[in-house]
Amino acid sequence: MSDPVVVCEGLTHVYLRGTPFESVALRGVDLVVRRGECLGLVGPTGSGKSTLVQHFNGLLRPTEGRVWVDGVEIRPGTAVVREVRRKVGLLFQYPEHQLFEATVFDDVAFGPRNLGLDPEEVQERVRESLEWVGLDPDRFGPRSPFSLSGGEMRRVAIAGVLAMRPQVLVLDEPTAGLDPEGRREILNRVRDLHRKAALTVVLISHSMDDVARLCQRVVVLHRGQVFLDAPVREAFAQSDRLRSIGLDVPRVTDVLLRLRAAGLPVRCDRLTVEEACEEIVRVLQGNRRWSSSEA
Amino acid sequence: MRGDRAGAAGEPAVELLRSLTIGQYVPRASPVHRLDPRTKILATTVLMVVVFLARDFRGLGVFAAFLAGAVAISQVPAGFVLRGLRPIWFLLLLTLVLQVFFGGASGGTVLWRLGPFAATREGLVQGLFVTTRLVLLVVSTSLLTFTTSPVELADGMERLLNPFRRLGVPAHELAMMMTIALRFIPTLVEETEKIMKAQMARGADLDTGGPLRRARALVPILVPLFVSAFRRADELAVAMEARGYRGGEGRTRMKQLRYRARDLWAGLVVLGVGALVLWSGGL
Repeated sequence: MSDPVVVCEGLTHVYLRGTPFESVALRGVDLVVRRGECLGLVGPTGSGKSTLVQHFNGLLRPTEGRVWVDGVEIRPGTAVVREVRRKVGLLFQYPEHQLFEATVFDDVAFGPRNLGLDPEEVQERVRESLEWVGLDPDRFGPRSPFSLSGGEMRRVAIAGVLAMRPQVLVLDEPTAGLDPEGRREILNRVRDLHRKAALTVVLISHSMDDVARLCQRVVVLHRGQVFLDAPVREAFAQSDRLRSIGLDVPRVTDVLLRLRAAGLPVRCDRLTVEEACEEIVRVLQGNRRWSSSEA
Repeated sequence: MRGDRAGAAGEPAVELLRSLTIGQYVPRASPVHRLDPRTKILATTVLMVVVFLARDFRGLGVFAAFLAGAVAISQVPAGFVLRGLRPIWFLLLLTLVLQVFFGGASGGTVLWRLGPFAATREGLVQGLFVTTRLVLLVVSTSLLTFTTSPVELADGMERLLNPFRRLGVPAHELAMMMTIALRFIPTLVEETEKIMKAQMARGADLDTGGPLRRARALVPILVPLFVSAFRRADELAVAMEARGYRGGEGRTRMKQLRYRARDLWAGLVVLGVGALVLWSGGL
């Protein structure tokens, strides 16, 4: 497997320590994000997913434990933090709420300008980023971000993070609150970025279907601890464990599990509709052959 | 050097909530919490007057002892109460320094000199007195908000202002505005934190450069914050109307405020302490 990009070791985070509102968000999390992979981060609400990823670019400091990005440890008061913010692009939930500029172009240019790049470089990055998210720079660039649809605003926000040219892209529920078309659009873009731009992607999602479609590996957080860390197929095969903490399995897996429960001996580690179809056909044909030979 | 600052940039956003203990409600089941909000509001008003009328350290001492007792009974952690002073430490320091140099009448005992300024013994005493008074003032008012939920507080205010409605005081509207404002402070703080983090993730630099640069660095935070505040206000208005809110006229309440025996006792204790403080100062 390829080399690690983000490494967390014994990561513990306590919010508002020493106040009556103290709460432990993470307890001793060990996690490795490998270069070039697409990692799904799932877990019930309040399991610490968002807290965890904010350690990836130094927005939060570990209460205990250590975090490395690209082989360099993130430590308070070091020059590393600025560098790390550039390497790890973090897209928050409802990122369209962070838009502020008068035009789409200027908003996407915010990051590159903060990096102190010259105007030509900024322009090039903005165009490139807008194209990555499927927005025509000439048509959308001069428009106000507040005149766009929800899905378009979100894509502008994603472009704003991409313009930093990060190595790792962390997306916190990028499809929340979008219509099916908007979801599909965003997910396809993320997949393209992962496959064609060789970006390492960490996807936080409540939708197991999305995770199954995009990711190779799943990390399940539960009450601030790593509950499960496995390749997608293995992870979703453990439907009972997932359901025990209030999570679900992808719809495809669900159908296969039900078929199996109804007596059809299908394998349940299929993730896409096509794979599942093949599997069902295989089993049904096998059955027919078997029953006809018996007759 | 640059990197150092960038490292420090992580802190303010995260620490924002932590330092904002003033005005926060700490749910506990203490006798202080159970008092009628009107009792607490009136008692706090009396205490504020008393702390300004106190003439000497003996009076402030009595006051401080009473306040320490009240904090202990309220079960609000003392460290948490003191943390509420954090936002005003600069004000306290400034007050102290100004008093030390200019507080004493001219011709006092000179302790040391700094150029044309002389720190006098009288000034030092005066400075300590004024800062103590400020600390006690802040602690006693924050005890009110620590032990009274925003809803109770607004209810109490409304009931206390009710008699003045005839004079044109919009008691209900004021109370509702206060409830909403208090309710949304944590929400807006959270929102600010989130936006700050989102912009910092895009390389925003919030605390380097001169005043002008810093002011400009606030634009990416203030614009989204205003947009979201207006959106929330809109949603709230619709939600309130959907539940039939039509202002204060003919509105009934689920929780009726009622004075109890403990309110009488608490009131007497506060008045007693007030009298003691004033008496010890020879007023």
